Formats: sequence, C-alpha cells, structure tokens
Amino acid sequence: MTQLVLFNVFNGLIVGAFYALMALGLSLILNLSGVINFAHGGFLALGGYLAYMMIPYVGFWGALVFAPFVTAILGLIVERVLIRRVYGRDPLYSLLLTFGLAFMFEDGTRYIWGAQSLPFQVPGWLMAPLSVDYFFLTGYRLFMVLMVAIAVAGLFAILTYTRLGMRIRAGTLDLETVSVLGVNVRILRNLNFGLGIYLAGLAGVLAVGQLGLQPTIGTSLIMPSFVAIIVGGLGSLPGTLLGGLLIGVASGVTTVFFPSATEAVMYIMMAAVLLVRPRGLLGEEGRF
Amino acid sequence: MSLLRVENVSKHFGSLVAVNNISMVVEPGELRAVIGPNGAGKTTFFNLISGFFPPTSGRIVFDGEDITALLPARRVWRGMARTFQITEVFPELTVRENLRIAVEVAAGNRLNPWLSRDADGEIRARIVELMDMGGLGEKADRLVGELAHGDQRATEIMMALALKPRLLLLDEPTAGMGDQETYDITQLIRKLHREEKLAIVLIEHDMRVVFHLADRIMVLAEGEPLAEGTPREIGANEAVQAAYLGKAAA
Amino acid sequence: MRGDDLQKRAATAIVWLLLIGAPYWLPAIGGYTELGTRVVVLGLAAMSLNFLLGYTGVLSFGHAAYFGLGAYGAGMTLRYLVPSTGLSVIIGTLVGTIAAAIIGPMIIRLRGVYFAMVTIAFGQTFYFIAFRWNTVTGGDDGLIGWTRQPLNLGFATIDILKSSVAFYYFVLVLFAVAVGIMAWLLRSPFGRTLLAIRENERRARFLGIPVDQHIWISWVISCCFVSLAGALYALLNNFVDPRTLYWSQSGDFVIMAVLGGMRSFWGPLLGAAIFVVLQDYLSSQTQNWMSFVGLFFVLVVLFFPRGVLGIIRRRATA
Repeated sequence: MTQLVLFNVFNGLIVGAFYALMALGLSLILNLSGVINFAHGGFLALGGYLAYMMIPYVGFWGALVFAPFVTAILGLIVERVLIRRVYGRDPLYSLLLTFGLAFMFEDGTRYIWGAQSLPFQVPGWLMAPLSVDYFFLTGYRLFMVLMVAIAVAGLFAILTYTRLGMRIRAGTLDLETVSVLGVNVRILRNLNFGLGIYLAGLAGVLAVGQLGLQPTIGTSLIMPSFVAIIVGGLGSLPGTLLGGLLIGVASGVTTVFFPSATEAVMYIMMAAVLLVRPRGLLGEEGRF
Repeated sequence: MSLLRVENVSKHFGSLVAVNNISMVVEPGELRAVIGPNGAGKTTFFNLISGFFPPTSGRIVFDGEDITALLPARRVWRGMARTFQITEVFPELTVRENLRIAVEVAAGNRLNPWLSRDADGEIRARIVELMDMGGLGEKADRLVGELAHGDQRATEIMMALALKPRLLLLDEPTAGMGDQETYDITQLIRKLHREEKLAIVLIEHDMRVVFHLADRIMVLAEGEPLAEGTPREIGANEAVQAAYLGKAAA
Repeated sequence: MRGDDLQKRAATAIVWLLLIGAPYWLPAIGGYTELGTRVVVLGLAAMSLNFLLGYTGVLSFGHAAYFGLGAYGAGMTLRYLVPSTGLSVIIGTLVGTIAAAIIGPMIIRLRGVYFAMVTIAFGQTFYFIAFRWNTVTGGDDGLIGWTRQPLNLGFATIDILKSSVAFYYFVLVLFAVAVGIMAWLLRSPFGRTLLAIRENERRARFLGIPVDQHIWISWVISCCFVSLAGALYALLNNFVDPRTLYWSQSGDFVIMAVLGGMRSFWGPLLGAAIFVVLQDYLSSQTQNWMSFVGLFFVLVVLFFPRGVLGIIRRRATA
C-alpha cells in the first residue's frame, strides 16, 4: 500500500512538473502581454514531434537541445505575424485567435504525423529501474524531474539576473513606464513569448517519453496548466510552480483512492482556493 | 451633527505611505476644498472617503454611521456621490441615457425588469430637470463620447447629482479645461452649493476656483495635513506658501 | 431616432418571418429541417452567451458547461425518470441554472482574461464528471437508450418525435420565449445597469450599482438560457455526449457571437447560422475540417472583429 501511494505521489509529481513547466510559460505570456495562449499545448506537441523527427539524426540528447529551440523560433514567428495584432484589443480577440491556432496545431499534427501514438526512443539505460522495491523509480523519471528543476531554476535565474529578465519583470508590473524608459516593448513581448514557448517545447520533448506521442497531448495538458495558474495565484510565477506541483500530486494521490475522480480533483481544489482565497495561494492582492 | 468625519486615516501601498493620519470634519451644506502639490495624496484621500479602497488604519463616519468597510455602492445609497479626475461617463450612450441610468438607480429601480407608466414619467421629468440645470438640454441625444470636455464633465456632475447626494465629492472638476469651460463649471458648482444646499468637497488645482468657491480649505503635503482654515487664513499661512511655492517652482 | 426604430422593427419582423418559414424555404435551397433546428438551438445558445458577453461586457469562455448540463439534465430525465419531453426541458434548464448560480460567487470578482480562464476551467469539471461516471452518463460513448417523447397537451398530442417539422416549431416557440425575455430585460432599468457595467464599470460602481451582484444575475440569466438551449440540443439529437461540455464548444459559441456581431441583438443568431452551415459543409468535404474551423477563427479575429452586422451598421452610418 505504501508503495502504491508512493508510486502515485511520485507519478503525480512528474505530471505536476509538466503542468508547472507548461503553466510557467503560459504565465509569462499572460503576465506581460495579457494573452491566454490556448495554442500553448499545440507548441508542446510540436516540440515532441520535432524531437521525434530529429532523433534519427542527432540522437535523443541532440533532440533535447534543438527541438525546444526550434519550437521557440516558431513561437517568435507566430507572435510576430499573428499574436502581435491583438495586443491592446479586447482580450476576447486574443483568446479566439489562439483558440483557432490550437485547433490548427492539433489537426495539423494529426494530418502530418497521424492520429495514432508514435514510438519515442529514450536511451535504454535511462529506462532501467533503479531499485527492485521501488520499481517505478526509473532513471528517466528522475531525469525528467531533474530537467524540469533545471529549467525552472534557469528561468528564475534569467528573470533575476539578466537584463531581459529584469525588463520582463518590470514590464509585468508597469509596461508603460518600461516603454517610457526606452525599452522596445514589441521586442520585449516577442522575446518573452519565445521564452514561454521554449518551455512548452522542452516540456513537450520530456513529456512524450512519459505520456506517449500523439496529437492530443497538448490539449490534455493545457487545462491543468490553467488550473495551476489559478490555484497558485494570478501573476505569481512561484505560485504557478507551486500550483502545478500541488495539483499533480493531488491527482496522483486521488488515483489510489478514487480513480474516477483523478481529473476532477484539481478542479475541486481550484474551487476551494477561489472560495477561500480568491487571488490564489501566492497571488498578490488586486492583480486581477 | 457633522455630515462627514474622517478620523486619522492612513493608506499604505506596500512601503509607500500615500496618506498619513489625516482627519477632516465636513458640516452639512459646507463647501470644502482640498489642495496640495502633486503627489500630496489628495486623490488617494478621496478614494478612501468614497470607498475605492479601504484605509490601512483609521475610521470614516458618514452621518453618524461608520462606513469604513462599506462598498462604494453602499456609500452611494447613503448619500455620497463622486466624480473623477479623468471624467468617467458612459461614452457610447447619449446624455439622456447616461442620466437615465443614474436616475433609475437613485429611484431604487436598479433591479426592476419593468417600469410603470407613472414611474417612467417621473424619471423622464427628472432627467429633463437635470439636463436643464447642467445646461445640457440641447445635447440630450448626442453620444457623450462625442461631446466637448466641459460638457462631458457637466454630464458626470449631473449624474452624480441625480443620485440626490448629501455629500458631493469632486476630483479636480476643472482639470484640462479652458477659461470659459472653467468658468461655466465653477458657476455650476456654486449653483449646486447655493440652491441645493449640497455639501461639497472638491480637489482643485486652479487657485482662482478654490478661493472663489470654498468655505474652508484643507492643505495636504506629502500625504500629511499641513493646514486648515478659511481661504483668508490659508492665503496668509507661510507654511502653506513655502510648501506650495517650493514644490510648484521645482 | 425614429427612422432607426423603424429599421429595427423591420429587421426583427424579417428575422421572425424567416424563422417561421424555415421548414418551407430551407429545402428549396438545399437545406433540411434539422439544419434549421440546429441553427435555432445553437443561435439561442450564442444569443444567451451574448447577453453576458455583448451586453454586460463579461467574457465567459465556459458556457459549454451549462449547455452540456442542460443537455445531460434533459437526457437523463428521459432515460431514468419520466418519459416527458416537457419535464426533461424544465429539469435540464434547472440543472444548468443551479450549477451556474452556485459557481457564480466564486468567479464574479474576476474580470477579463481571468474570468475567461476560470470559467473554462470550471467547465472542465463537468466534462470529466460526464466522461468518467460511465454507469450513469454513458461516459465517452454518450448517453443513449432514450428519445424525445411526443408532446401531450391534454386535448391533443403533437408528435415531435417523428415529425422534424413539428419539433422545429416546438423549439422555435421556446426560442421565442427565451429571446423575448432577454430582449425585454435589456430594455428595462435592470438591463440598463448591465449596459452601464459594460460601458464603464468604475462609473457604474460609483453610481450605486453593486457591480458584482448585477454580474452574478446576468451570469445566471445567461446560463439559464444556454442550459435551455442545451436541453433542446439533446432532444434534437436524441443523444448526449461529453463533447457538448467540452471547452472547444464554448469557443464555438463565442465565435458565433463575434462573427454575427456582439453589439447587435440578432447578430449571434446570424453567426450561428453561418457557423453551422460552414461546419456542416466542411465536415462533409474534408477530414481536416478542424484546421479550417481554426483558420476561420483566425480570419474572423483579424478581418471581421466587429462581425457581419457590425460591419453593415458601420457602412450604414458612414
């Protein structure tokens, strides 16, 4: 029993790490540009498929490096050509635009790579269990958690120590002042979008090793990411991270005791948070 | 009994102290001006009185009742109305429709799915009355967003008046106006004060307007009360002159 | 002013004439009655959404939840409780409305994108319940084993099951009641407070309108009629599945409202007509209709943000 619970807690943690990684990207874009990027899941799936295409040529490690990068470049282009046009308009329009893009991504990946799940090669030595008692502790799972931790640490380092990061944070608080100070807001938003999409692409490469490669993988991860942002607190990146991990673990634990409520539990958590603390666990007052 | 008693209110935004320990008493029918250099906390002070946000500490009593924790709408129901520094109207509705919303809410119809013929007649009459008082009669069916700034401001003031307040809070009513418009608005405020016996508190930058209208003046500087008195006393107050001219020159 | 009024009345008369005559003129241009029923049902959903979106200025992206609850409420009533079409519609509508009323207080303080995000997320709760609770809802396969029942009026029985034309008129009558109530509310003092909130929330608040309370009422009214639409949708198909609750369905409602014109009363109905016909056509032509629907969303946002009626009106005043 303990083993089963531990197994599911750990599973939840991994899934929660994906939620968090995806939600952090969504949060970045939402906080600076006020856009909910419905197409985020589409970018995630694309990251996975790009990695799948690259592996025969550059191997798993090469794909892990290049696929998120290429995804991010695509993100920069999409922002430049489409998303940019709806900044400053009623948020309704950015929602509809990215909504349409999400449809196109999902259907497009299905058209190109087919609807069925594709095999995804992860180095064999990563897949071996590390211990007989805790069979679920494969190297790949630990590796994923480690990678997510590195990515999150990297993100916070970028936001804290680089000039781009400081500008993003300042722009999140007061875009007007930042623009008056001579920062090019268009470029800032573009790069910020790219950064968010990079995280989605990375999550994609890592997730397909665990969840399988299929066109709906993005759509299945985007709603929990929304919930992670709401639970963690609108406008707070540490909150988003916490929210993602929390709902992941909560779903994992629920799987043990009440499997049919696995997905519903996170929405119940969301309702509870909104009732008790409407701004979310770490959200600042008056940010919404 | 005093109409409004503000007791030692403070407002902090994080580490910034926007308003520090201000008290003020306004009597029924009084016209009070609040002045001070930019950043003195005047608008924050107004926002505290009208319930835009709650004070960090202190108490606000209106007509003998503690309203410190009440929502803005509930303060309006008790007889307090306000205008904003940047005119807040319904730009895509006509003058008549703007006033109609205010009159209907004031008449207690905000949740009504219908109006009787009589009630409708009364509301129409009241709208016409307000438009005439504000000099808006000829612009009744124009969209407010298309009107000149002075007329938009007049619409906003008449909407506030439609609420039948006992206390009217005006945040820089002549901001951004030319001489003629400033004169018209000043005359309108004076008329409301004299004819409607309305207590008014106004924030104002234009000293001609302040000294022309106010019964008493309160001066704020850097979030704190600096002086209070009649226009004559304030005009002679050296501390006020120093703070004011020093800031204005900088 | 007066010319405007006359024009509006003429437009309303034309809409009703077209709706009443639909079973007769639709086949003549290659349509079929069920297509007309679909347009009316989804049009009702889009118009209900627009009560909130276009007239209160609140961005809900989760209306499919209440649409779906209405559908399941109606379907499950017929499947498990009583073989009565009338009762199924009433219960379906009530289920959606009550859920909306309960969820309301948790969301009405939020605005803009955040309101949208939370409404979507709440919608997913119901999706997963429907999806997972196999034994009762039929899970992913949908709720089957029931049909709508002939209407028993006491003195006569109308067979809305076999006659699609009779069912169309049954739907149209309920549509007329719902739309009539919404139009009437929008012209009332209460309706004007909603316009006030849309136009300038701060001003509305400081005019003495408790904005959150009014948004809650508008939300419940909007969800009530969307649940009614959902109940009718279930009856139309004699089937419900979790996709009626899915978030992409919410997006469809929003695009219908925007496409037709959010600032006009009939706009969303027109938007629904265009959307339904387009989807019907695309899904018969290509496997990849989803891509085209997505592309359609993008094109509407970039080139028709004011919707068809918004553009026509703009032309007329220019």
